[in-house]
Amino acid sequence: MDHVPHVGGKIRVLSDADLQSINRTARSILARTGIQAGSNRYAEVLAGAGADVGKDGRVRFSDRTIDNALESAPDRVLLHGRGDGPPLDLGGERVYLGTGGAAIRVLDLEDGCAREPRLTDLADIAWLVEHLDNIHFFLRPVVARDVPAEALDVCKFYTCLANTRKHVMGSAGTPESAEDVIELAATIAGGTDAVVDRPIISFVTSWMVSPLTLDLSACAVLSTVVERGIPVALSCAPMAGSTAPATLAGLLAQVHAEQLSGIALAQAIRKGAPVLYGPVPAVADLHTMGYAGGAIESALLNAACAQLAQSIGVPIYSDAGLTDSKLPDVQAGYEKGMNILLIALAGGNYIHHAAGMLESMLAVAYEQYVIDNDINGMALRALRGIAVSPETLAEEVIATVGPGGNYLTRAHTLAHIRTDEYFVAATADRRGRPAWEAAGCHDARAHAKEIAREILARPRTRFISREADRRIRDRFDLSACERPA
Amino acid sequence: MIEAIKQAVLDGDRGKVVELTASALERGTEPKEILDQALTPAMDIVGEEYERGDRYVPEMLISAEAMKGAMKQLRPLLADAGVEPRGRIVIGTVEGDLHDIGKDLVAMMLEGAGFEVINLGVEVSAAAFVQAVREHNADILALSALLTTTMTCMPEVVKALTEAGIRDQVKVIIGGAPVTQAYAEEIGADGYAADAAGAAKLAVTLA
Repeated sequence: MDHVPHVGGKIRVLSDADLQSINRTARSILARTGIQAGSNRYAEVLAGAGADVGKDGRVRFSDRTIDNALESAPDRVLLHGRGDGPPLDLGGERVYLGTGGAAIRVLDLEDGCAREPRLTDLADIAWLVEHLDNIHFFLRPVVARDVPAEALDVCKFYTCLANTRKHVMGSAGTPESAEDVIELAATIAGGTDAVVDRPIISFVTSWMVSPLTLDLSACAVLSTVVERGIPVALSCAPMAGSTAPATLAGLLAQVHAEQLSGIALAQAIRKGAPVLYGPVPAVADLHTMGYAGGAIESALLNAACAQLAQSIGVPIYSDAGLTDSKLPDVQAGYEKGMNILLIALAGGNYIHHAAGMLESMLAVAYEQYVIDNDINGMALRALRGIAVSPETLAEEVIATVGPGGNYLTRAHTLAHIRTDEYFVAATADRRGRPAWEAAGCHDARAHAKEIAREILARPRTRFISREADRRIRDRFDLSACERPA
Repeated sequence: MIEAIKQAVLDGDRGKVVELTASALERGTEPKEILDQALTPAMDIVGEEYERGDRYVPEMLISAEAMKGAMKQLRPLLADAGVEPRGRIVIGTVEGDLHDIGKDLVAMMLEGAGFEVINLGVEVSAAAFVQAVREHNADILALSALLTTTMTCMPEVVKALTEAGIRDQVKVIIGGAPVTQAYAEEIGADGYAADAAGAAKLAVTLA
């Protein structure tokens, strides 16, 4: 992975006046409609931060309460991996792309059929992603259906951390299991302080059910994570037409209000808590009412959210790479290509779902990770833009070659062809037809499968040291992770 | 008049449906005739249009709302005349799951199909489902879950019905984004539908 962050902010789908209107409306929603807290615990926390709590559990926010929360929320969050590269430096218009989802289906690499994911799939996908350079972090992509629910959180984080050095994010079902996961990560990171100073894990909590209602069990997890100082993404997923207004601007106003209230809650629990603004917006398909992740309107919404996050100075847990297709086909290619490029150009910071996803958030495929690694590579290349300098303008070499010559063997050519100037997609075929036919007429999906098989067949390295592993086993019963039901 | 009511249901004009139904009743039209000749055929057309892809869900729902308006007027009269609803359905979202939109959509379409629907809301425990099935003598129990983590409560409800000794008195149907036909078979439910129109169709075949 290259060490200079990629920077977006090259496309703006909202004007400054639009941003102001949405922000103003969101604040008005918080003052007028408010959110439903539904529990004394969070209502009291928010009241302590200056919010107005009604008898019915409705919490309304003044501009001042929101401003105070934005004041204390960090504008930069660092998420660490355990490899050689620098941490993910989230904030501003800096762009990182990674996996996402809690998919309940995986397409088998050999027969192509959808089946339930197992813990071995989680390990294999982590190992695959470890070797794909344009996937920058690992958000737990599948739900291992062969692990009992009570052991799942520890097992899934352990499995992710054992098979990739990239930053690992996941959810926790209860505050207790969140504590366990933090302890597990601390053992690997070298202590509780180390995991807070250099978080190798982070959490995502679906703390709000749109519209404007706290999910109390997720809030309990959020509280624990925030109290412990571990970064957390405030995920909520309104759909235009069902859980948000049918108009895109209406959804943005609502989700911005939801996010501002979440930031206020997190900052009320612990001032300065590292949080990620986390809208996961989409339009509903009006025929099925399903989440239309691949729709171009969903991409527009996510690009707009990147701008909204930039406007308030809080890093964003962004979203691109969804498709409504059931397999890695033409639809998957054009939907992902469009939304990943658009959101990267807009400057989403921690762009999840940007590898492997199919069927909106319900399925993943091994070869899709390899294909998306290429789509991400193309998007990142677009972000790097065109370097213009005396060296790249190449006036000297143009004079040397002169009219009618060629540049093939010039030192200038050789100095630049293996640099960041060019990105070559591994799954793309650029050969002439005869060579392509001679090689068996394979498409990108077939190339991707070959690459996935090759990576999965490599001898595995465990990324948890023997010593840390022993200490983890002294503390946790990992039998469910090793002999799943 | 019957045609006008039918058209108003198709248009999703609740006010007009209620008004026309009231005047039809005043003129002595039989409640059962309004139900059988106007409301049910209109909702059949709505379902067909939805299945063909000609109607969006919100357009289907306003028709169901309009039909509900008429049913409110007709139900007591139908009961007096000894006309029973198509069946009684208890519906709810399983324990731990707050997502009610899909479930409410199904409830509305079931009412549109002529069922009496007892909507228990969200985060309903297995025990509460069992109690409601008993209390209302339900023909069908409809369970909803949106999350992969909560769908696992569905087999517990089926088990609780068995333990209460009423499993064979009620048909269990399930639905929600992560739920499949295969899952329905796995947990011993009687049916699965992918969408609200499908759920109404399924209920008609099971009741």
